[in-house]
Formats: sequence, C-alpha cells, structure tokens
Amino acid sequence: MKAVKNEGKEKIAQAKELDKNEIGEIKGKDQSFEVDRRSVYKCVQCGTCRSVCPVFNVVGWESANTRGRMLIIKSLLEGMPPSEDVLPSLASCTICGICAVKCPAGVNPPDVVESARAELVKCGVINNSQEKLRAAIIASGNSFGETKDRLSWLSEAERSKLPEKSDYVYFIGCFNSYRYPEFAKKTFQILQRYGVTLLPDEQCCASPLLRTGFREDAEEVMKRNLEQIRKVGARTIITSCAGCYTTLKNSYPEEFHIISLPEFLAEHLEEINLKRLDLTVAYHDPCHLGRHNKIYEASRKVIRAICTLREMKNIKEDSRCCGGGGGVRIGYPEISLELARKRLEDVPEGIDFIVTSCPLCVRNLRDAGGNIKIIDIVELVAMAME
Amino acid sequence: MDITAELRTIVGPRLSVSPSELYCYSSDASQVKGMPDYVIRPKSVDEVSRIVRLANENDVPVIARGAGTGLAGGAVPVRGGIVLDMSGMNRILEIDIDNIQGVVEPGIVQDVLNEAIKPYGFFFPPNPGSSAMCTIGGMIAYNASGMRCVKYGTTRNYVRDLEVVLADGTIIHTGSKMLKSAAGYDLTQLIIGSEGTLGIVTKASLKIVPLPKARKLVIASFENAEVAGKAVVKTFSNGIIPSACEILDRVTLQVLKRCDPKLVLPSEGDVLLFEVDGTESSALEAAEQIIETCSSLALSIKLAESEKAMADIWAARKLVGAAVSRLDPTKTRIYVGEDVGVPIIRIPELLKRVQEISEEFNLPAMKYGHIGDGNLHLALFIDILNKDEWNRLNQVADLIHRTAMELGGTVSSEHGIGAARAEYMKAQWGPALEVMRAIKKALDPKGILNPGKLGL
Repeated sequence: MKAVKNEGKEKIAQAKELDKNEIGEIKGKDQSFEVDRRSVYKCVQCGTCRSVCPVFNVVGWESANTRGRMLIIKSLLEGMPPSEDVLPSLASCTICGICAVKCPAGVNPPDVVESARAELVKCGVINNSQEKLRAAIIASGNSFGETKDRLSWLSEAERSKLPEKSDYVYFIGCFNSYRYPEFAKKTFQILQRYGVTLLPDEQCCASPLLRTGFREDAEEVMKRNLEQIRKVGARTIITSCAGCYTTLKNSYPEEFHIISLPEFLAEHLEEINLKRLDLTVAYHDPCHLGRHNKIYEASRKVIRAICTLREMKNIKEDSRCCGGGGGVRIGYPEISLELARKRLEDVPEGIDFIVTSCPLCVRNLRDAGGNIKIIDIVELVAMAME
Repeated sequence: MDITAELRTIVGPRLSVSPSELYCYSSDASQVKGMPDYVIRPKSVDEVSRIVRLANENDVPVIARGAGTGLAGGAVPVRGGIVLDMSGMNRILEIDIDNIQGVVEPGIVQDVLNEAIKPYGFFFPPNPGSSAMCTIGGMIAYNASGMRCVKYGTTRNYVRDLEVVLADGTIIHTGSKMLKSAAGYDLTQLIIGSEGTLGIVTKASLKIVPLPKARKLVIASFENAEVAGKAVVKTFSNGIIPSACEILDRVTLQVLKRCDPKLVLPSEGDVLLFEVDGTESSALEAAEQIIETCSSLALSIKLAESEKAMADIWAARKLVGAAVSRLDPTKTRIYVGEDVGVPIIRIPELLKRVQEISEEFNLPAMKYGHIGDGNLHLALFIDILNKDEWNRLNQVADLIHRTAMELGGTVSSEHGIGAARAEYMKAQWGPALEVMRAIKKALDPKGILNPGKLGL
C-alpha cells in the first residue's frame, strides 16, 4: 500500500511567507493568463458567497462556489498552467451575480469569471459543449444552429410592410425567433403600433459568446447587428430577452437607447388598454434584468395592472437563478436543471402562473417540471388584451 | 490496493484529487496555506471512521473542515493529507423541545439551524459574524462565539454531547442528553476548542434557549476609543449585563456607511452599541439605565428608533470585517492579529496601545469587536501587491499579540490558534502547553489529526 507521508510538506506550511515575497516577482513575469489582479485580490476568502451561490448549493464542492472560483483564478494568475481541470469550476458559473450583491469586500465575481473564461479561450481551454454553441452562432447566426429563416414566424404580408427606416427596432433574440415564436409574434403585435421595425438579418446578440469567453467572435457578431441598426436609423432598441437586454445595454456602443419589454410596457400601460384578469401570479426576476440591470419594478407594475401578484420566497436582489445562463445549460445541463428545480421551491401557494421576462428562464423553469405553468410577461399582457 | 483506491471504495465519487479542487481546500480566510493530497466529502460517521482508521494505518494526516471560514488556518492541511469536507453532513437529526435541545450533524450552518428552531421560539445563541455560512462543527472545534457572548457565553456553554471519531477510527460519545453529569472527565469540554487535533465531531447535541421577547439597542458615540472603553467598564460595574456590547471605531463607521449610506449611526467619534434583551419593559429599563450610566462620558447617546434600524446595523456590523475595500479599492483586509482579548478593565489600555502601534508603523487599522467580553477585532488592511506593507503588517500583528499577553489576555478570543498563532502558545501557556501535548499524544499517538496546529 502506498502511503502519503508527512515529510516534505513542511515547506507548504511556510507558503505564507513565500507567497508574500513572490507577489512582486509574479507581477513582473510575462503571464499568458491575465485578468485584473486588483479585482481578484480584493476577495478576502470570507466565504459569504458560499451561503448564496446556487451552483454550490447543488454541487457541494468548494470549487463550485465563488470563493473557489476566485481562488482558482488566483492560482492561474500566480502561474498554475491553465488546463481542463479548471473547467468544472470556472465554466459552471451561471453569472447570476448574487455573490456580487452579497460580497462584503465589493468584488464583482461575474466580471472576473467572464474575464478568466476569455483568457482560457485564448489558451485553448474550452468546454466542448460551449465550443459547439460558439460554432453554431458563427455558422448560423443563432445559438441553436438553426438554418431556417429567423423571421419565419412573420407572414409574407407582414414582412413586406416592415418599415426600412424607424426610430424603434424590436430585437427579437434567438430564443424568441426559434423556440418561442409565439412570444415574438405577440411582442411584435404590441409594438407594431409604435412603428417598430425588425432587423432584416438579425444575428445572435452575442450574449452566449460573451458569457463563455469567446470575446473575439462576439465582436464579429455584434458588428453585423450594429451595421443593420445604424442602417435602419433606430435610436431605441426594444428587447424581450433579458440576455439580449444586458448585452445590448452593456456591451454594445452607447449610441442607442436600450429598453426592455417590461419597461416599455410599463411606460405605455394606459395606451395598451388592458383588462383585469382574475388571476394570481408569481414573478421570477431574471438575473440579467434584475441584479445585473436593477430592473425590478417595471414587470411588477405591468403584472399589478392586470392581476394579483404574489411574490416568491426570494425576490429582486435576492432572487435565485433559474440555472439557464452563463453557458451552464449547455455545458452542465444536470446542474442547470437542478438549479431550476430549487428555484421552483420558492414559488408560493395558490398561484395560476409563474411569470417571467426572459425566454431562457421560461425554458429552464419549464424543463424543471412542476405543476404551475411558466409564461412570459408578453403572454400575460396578450391575455389581458383579448 | 493503494490508498486512493481504498478511499474510493469508501466514498466513491465524493473523493477528489483534481489539482483545482485541492487548491480550493488549500486555504481558509487566513494567510495559512497548504495543499491537501485528497479532499473527501463524507456522508456518515461510518465513512469518517473508516477513512480515519485507514489514514492512521498509513500515517496520513486528516483535517476536518466545515465552511472554511476560519481565520487561523485551522482547517488548512499544512502537512498535506486528507481534508474531510464535513459541510455535506448537514442534517438536523432531532429538535427536542421538551429537553430544550437539538441534535445536528456538524455541517449544519448556524443560521440554518436558527431558522429551523425559530418557529418553536428557541435559538442557539453563539453567533459569529460568519453565521450565514459557518458550520456548527467548526464552531465546536474553535469554541466560536460572537456578538452575544457577553450575556450568552460561547459554544462551549451549549454542547451536551458529541459523537467523535478518534484517531484510530473508534467512535465515542462524550456526554448525554442530561443537563448535568458527575461521571468522570468531561470529554465534551476537552473536544470543544481542540481544533480537530483530538477527534472529528460527527454529531452534536446542543442546548437551545428561548428567544427573548424584546431587544433594544443603545447607540453611543465617544471622543475616542479609550473613553468608550471606560464607558463599558462603568456599565458593567453598575451591574448591567447587555446581550451584546460592540465597539466600532471611526474608520469602521466610515466603512459601514460606505456599505449602506442609510444606516443610522453617529457622524463623529468612536461608537458603542449596547444591546439588551428580555421582556419589552425589562429591555427598555436596561436600555435607559445604560443611557443614564454613559451619558456623562458620551458625545451622543440614543435608543435605536425601530427594529429595522437595529437589524440593519447588526447586519452591516456582521460583515464589516471584509468590507474595508469599499473605502479604498487598493486595500485588502488581512486577517492577522485580529482576535486578541484582555480582561475588561484593561480594554482602554489595549485600545491605546493598539493605536500607538498602528501609528508607529503607519498602518491604518479598523478597530471593532466584542468589547463587552474584552475581545478586540483589529482589522489591518494593506495593498496586497506591496511587499513593504506586508512586512509592517506582520510586525504590527506580532506586537499586538504580545501586548495582549502582557495585559493578561489571550492571542485568540474566538477565532482559534490554528497554525497562524501557534508560535504564541508557549508564551501564553508555559508548562500548561506540555499538558496539552501529553493529552494529544495519548489520544493521537501518530499525530495524524490536524498536525501542525495549536503549537502542539
């Protein structure tokens, strides 16, 4: 039997001193892996993130929580060669951002993790499923690798009437174009009266690429959308996908006004003429609309104008992730669905629907099962318009 | 079969040798580091016993770890070996209100336990700042306490029985459900605070107490920390025992306000927070007594206006230790010299000396802590990329430890010794350290349980 002896380990006990002395030297070395060191060193390893990280909650290993991810990134900065060994940790973060809200030291782990993923991509360390997602977007312009027309949910007649120039563009997104065309259709019907148009060759917004570290590919895709938006002459882009929203808002040039569908609906409630429905619903805050962009009230205002809102156990800043984001659904589907099942435990008794405002959340929560139907906010609005 | 294969037969996929995973278990919240050879997440006492027996046969160190929130490197495998991540053994096995106790596995998180017993009108009082994530097992291993220690005591006062796996794999119980026992050595108390060097706790029976009906908070500010220290001594000598008594110096106040600008806290001076609990009338009466006692020393003194204001202040206070980067993003809090304690009467002197040391080395410090039990948390913060600041930091920490001992105090009040403060054990204990070494030798002759800790 091979025994692991204690000898030779004493050096490790002295690592404290070594680490301190080495910091200056490491800083000067030519590193292939580089992220903002200040952001990483701000982490004091207190472990507050352990109590909220949804992935850790289902996985249980230290590497699956934010502190573990920050430590692994620190080790890469300090010379550990990047390898596939780090992927189960760094590629399994949903970028939900609840750790950033709770972190007493003010670290923004989603930013750090995304930067680390970009560095890993540069080093050729890539999760295979996430690589397939990238390839699909590059080949077909959408995250599903669909080859059919992105606007196939629109009739020829409607398509021919689309204005070539408009102040408003409705940015549909991959999910609504290919998986939930009924959401796209209902959204378009509401927005049509405001003279909204669609991009003739809309591409994926690039969110999946940015979240998983494929920054160069993302630039290319964003460029193609940008050219079209500029050609249409739009100043306002409306989107009903939380992932598209945060990407358009925070990663595209700041030359357009980006507005989410819930915000647009909340602003135009009186014009839309909604009737009251005898329903009680819960609202799930999508991470990319809520925590990342602080849009909490718009959806609630729309829902309250239609029916009764009964809140979930954890809401707004404390809302728990559905598990669908950050490339986790495609990279680690089991973890992703377990997160969704946990989120459904937050649903209160006696409600008719769970409403959300992100098609990724709709998909993941629906796939997690449960007895209550999950709908997009546009479906609730459409019901109230009938 | 080699040891890896044998461990795998015991725990299956709950064993990791992935370098990334091992790295995540190579530190806690202190500066102590050491790489494990294995990380295992056991699910039962039987698994723990088999693992420890195997490790003992093969001279492999075994280190139990809870949430890794420790501040002394107690859960860090400084000599390699097997880290047992106990946080997956986190069930509440029994809530026995008739016997006012609960039986838990060691991985249960303190706040989770308290949420579970709150509907019964009870709570488990020791409450470290890390209560949202720290485990009961870790609290037992380090005799953790926290803000309400001044009235409710430490973890030590709430453990009735422990199930412990000894170094050879034997499973023992150290107590019973009885409130008292006069039968032999008190092994429960021996295990509490032993930092995983004598055995691994796999189950604990805990005493719980009724939740107070009311809590009141008095917020007072003083010209300096020394005067605040005098106010604490005066309060206690007047016979008032608050349920918490905390000091926040002016730097700490700045950090708290940066975290939450809406917090209702004084704008000048160093601040004391006195919490009192009981019935509505008794709590109010005690609060008024404190106001009367301290008003001649205070710049300002008042009662918190609402329960929400009180809850907001406590929530912010709990996490202030890590929050210094909010004040200056180039600075990081380093946990060294952070847990000294002195007899209450010496507190003003400690505060004065700490201030002098901080000024001498030009290293800014945040001073806060459980002043009511003599425990001062000194938060030193440095630019982590500056080697000179690291050097000054270590000198300051050393002087603080020696000052506390000089004043008749301790180098650690509630965070433990671990590897970070092991060098001070001889100075603090003298020949008593040899007694500890003898106990260790008797229970763990091969020294496999958490070696390199406690100065043993």
